[in-house]
Amino acid sequence: MAESRSVKFLGLLRALLRHGVDFLVVGGVAAQLEGAPILTLDLDVLYDKAPENLGRLLGALRELNACYRDPAGRHIEPDIAKLETLRLHLLRTDLGALDVLGTIGSGFTYQDLVGRTVSYALGEVRVHVLELAAVIETKEQANREKDRAVLPVLRQTLRMKTRPSGEKEDEE
Amino acid sequence: MAQPLFGVPEPIPDPSPPAESPDGVDLTLIQWTLSLTPLERLELLQDWVDGLAELQRGRVEER
Repeated sequence: MAESRSVKFLGLLRALLRHGVDFLVVGGVAAQLEGAPILTLDLDVLYDKAPENLGRLLGALRELNACYRDPAGRHIEPDIAKLETLRLHLLRTDLGALDVLGTIGSGFTYQDLVGRTVSYALGEVRVHVLELAAVIETKEQANREKDRAVLPVLRQTLRMKTRPSGEKEDEE
Repeated sequence: MAQPLFGVPEPIPDPSPPAESPDGVDLTLIQWTLSLTPLERLELLQDWVDGLAELQRGRVEER
């Protein structure tokens, strides 16, 4: 399998959209799209666990030659049963690291958070991105060291975003 | 007792906004990313990631 050394964000998003997957961009990429200068080396997406969406997601993951980033080095591919039952899928793909999440924070699902998103046009694609306030909440709930480390930047960005400014947004 | 010819000058307030928040966050970086469009922000992130990958590969040429 050809593994990309650096993640190609737009390529991964295009693949998911091409297969009609219902998903939200969350995590570090969501924070960056919302204006927070956060470096992340993977794309995190929260997917809808509706049965029809699992098939679309699996199609996209197969196109990307996705397999789990297994510490033991085993080659394990995602399948419908895993996508149905597991919460966390840390995958390597032809276009870099892709984290496919069934829930985030304290157990929030796609359905819980789809109303807290911003729609952004990124060139020819349009994606739903978790709004910054919700990114902060989910990172506070996750409460891992790596999440706590970025919270000051995220909170400060939210404060500066909410001030009137000449910010350029391309939202719906 | 000798008096100074001129009074002690008032400190001149710094007209520029602070570059850093009290907890050490670089405000100028946030202002910059907020001035970009979402696509430009994603491209910036992609540049950072690609640059890191280049560094890991040791292909960055000395300038």
